[in-house]
Amino acid sequence: MVRPEDIQAYIAQGLACEQLQVAGDGHHFEALIVSGAFAGKSRVQRHQMVYAALGDRMREEIHALSMKTLTPEEFAAQS
Amino acid sequence: MDVQERIRATVTGNPVVLYMKGTPQFPQCGFSATAVQILKACGVSKFASVNVLEDMEVRDGIKQYANWPTIPQLYINGEFVGGCDIMREMYQSGELQKSLEGVTSAS
Repeated sequence: MVRPEDIQAYIAQGLACEQLQVAGDGHHFEALIVSGAFAGKSRVQRHQMVYAALGDRMREEIHALSMKTLTPEEFAAQS
Repeated sequence: MDVQERIRATVTGNPVVLYMKGTPQFPQCGFSATAVQILKACGVSKFASVNVLEDMEVRDGIKQYANWPTIPQLYINGEFVGGCDIMREMYQSGELQKSLEGVTSAS
């Protein structure tokens, strides 16, 4: 079974993140991803960047991943 | 027609299309159920839906079509809008209601 820390490691390998939190029960996961690489990208493009970092695991191992994708500036404005 | 052409025909031939697991009446996945609820909350009572569980070709093909590995997927006027998370964020900010304005009345 996939653990949240596995997903966190997969994402971190493929995307430079300033903040990365993943929680979940092995089937459904939720992630907060803060990365400067999201600047100027649409929501769809941001999610696609995360999916690209997860690669085939997204098809094979991970059933459901909810995510919030923010730039450092957006994250600072939210918190 | 191959599956990519079939998908293109569906999303361009209908103003609002939701690819989902199950049907709007009987969603078979929590994320698909949420997507239907969001559309209804936006005042969209009529929209085309495709149950990917009934068509394995579409179930795989739709992931390539938008380079998006998950379902549900929402299309407005032929354009991929996003999945459940993005629909929720756009609904909360009012963007989704704006995107749907005028689109559904034409159907």
